[in-house]
Amino acid sequence: MRIVPLLLVAALWQAASMTGLLPKAVLPAFSDVVIALAGLVTSGEIFPDTAASFLRAGTGFVIAVVAGVVLGLLMARVRAVQRAVEPILLVIYPVPKPALIPLFMVWLGIGDVSKITVIALSCLLPVVVSTFNGARSVDEMLLWSARARGTPERRLLWRIVLPAALPQIATGVRTAIAIAIIVLVSSEFISAEHGLGFLIFSYGGVGADDAMLAVILYLTVLGYLLDRIYVAGLRHLMAWHEFAH
Amino acid sequence: MNSRTETMVSFLQRTLPVGVLLLAWELVARTGLVNERVFPPVSEIALRWAAMLGDGGFYGPLWDTLWRALVGLGAAIVVGAPIGLLMGRTRWAAWLFEPLFSFFFPLPKIALIPLYVHLFGIFSLSKVMLIFTDCLFPIVIFTYHGARGLSAIYLWSAQARGTGRVRIFWRVVLPLSLASLYDGIQVAAVVAVLVAVVSEMVSGGSGLGYVMMRAYRYGDVRTAFATLLTISLVGFALYKVIEWGRERLLFWHVTES
Repeated sequence: MRIVPLLLVAALWQAASMTGLLPKAVLPAFSDVVIALAGLVTSGEIFPDTAASFLRAGTGFVIAVVAGVVLGLLMARVRAVQRAVEPILLVIYPVPKPALIPLFMVWLGIGDVSKITVIALSCLLPVVVSTFNGARSVDEMLLWSARARGTPERRLLWRIVLPAALPQIATGVRTAIAIAIIVLVSSEFISAEHGLGFLIFSYGGVGADDAMLAVILYLTVLGYLLDRIYVAGLRHLMAWHEFAH
Repeated sequence: MNSRTETMVSFLQRTLPVGVLLLAWELVARTGLVNERVFPPVSEIALRWAAMLGDGGFYGPLWDTLWRALVGLGAAIVVGAPIGLLMGRTRWAAWLFEPLFSFFFPLPKIALIPLYVHLFGIFSLSKVMLIFTDCLFPIVIFTYHGARGLSAIYLWSAQARGTGRVRIFWRVVLPLSLASLYDGIQVAAVVAVLVAVVSEMVSGGSGLGYVMMRAYRYGDVRTAFATLLTISLVGFALYKVIEWGRERLLFWHVTES
């Protein structure tokens, strides 16, 4: 039933276009956008750009999650690491990350490396912060009971602290997914020769509004599905935790 | 240790890592291991920043970015807060709006820049509209969750005294939802500055984002860094001002934790 309001908006849009209330020069009809999207998909034209975008966002995202979880855990359990890293994170936090894109392009070139670096850096912060908060608030009782059984400290980190912090980490990772897509599109707007952001920008630039809206719609659906799959996967993985209920 | 030395020690502990990092930056840039044009010493960036503040030429772009961000944010509050409240208290509004907002939430609103330039022109209007669109989401979502999650006890006690529906809305629902609306505004303020800057980077038209992009194009990395510093400070200051206002505007609010 949740799809009804979305269909309603699409129907209103279509009706406004057909009656001439919304001239096609201002906004193409919804049906034109769907036809353009069908064309892009059936001709396979959109897939190389999808792959290029996902490779960039995915690589940056994976680097950020791995580095962020390790750093967050270390910060929570090793005092010296926390003291060294926390002030630096506080300074980096308010920097709008897409504004770093041109900087990294000057440093690392206009290719994929600079985009991946900015995406990784942008996604890193929510993961570190959520891991740190999660790992810091682990129930001391769990740690005592593991220590009492003679579990070594390093094992404690992987067997107790990490699993207990997982629900909070999962929230940080969800934020990171959204940020990855935002920074990806921004970086592809600023400079790219492939990718979904590039497609939107170049279709918009030549006035092919139906194709531009088709790619935006495609990106929306992909982002929505990605988020749904992530949440569903999480429920499945963390069935043992109250988070899932 | 008396309390003053303790404050000193904790201040040093917090600033030391950043100081070490900046010092390392300065030294690396000075030794000539890296190209100084691309990676200027931090002291020169600080000098350039001070020169920009003194020059006055950059207050125009600063003001452009700021007013765009604030107008977009203001419009999002005016439109978003009623939608969120309505969604939280009436079933049909939740049914209608919730799917729309959750479907379009993962879309990076920045992707709409070319569309908005086409619809609203290349000048300020398209930027303000984009900021409005992006800020609408946190404001609606926070207000919705706040209004939906109100403790029913307050409503019951008002109803028990025979308070009418409209009066309950103004006297109970709205005041109790203000705290979550405020959270939404705080999140949206950061988004507003970010979107203002990115839209200026992509489609120009004065503003700090444009100044930064132009500096990069001319290879003037010092000015670009100084502008980046200003942008970060603007976002941070806005966030802090809103945080500061919370206890003053919502002083009567019961924090339930």
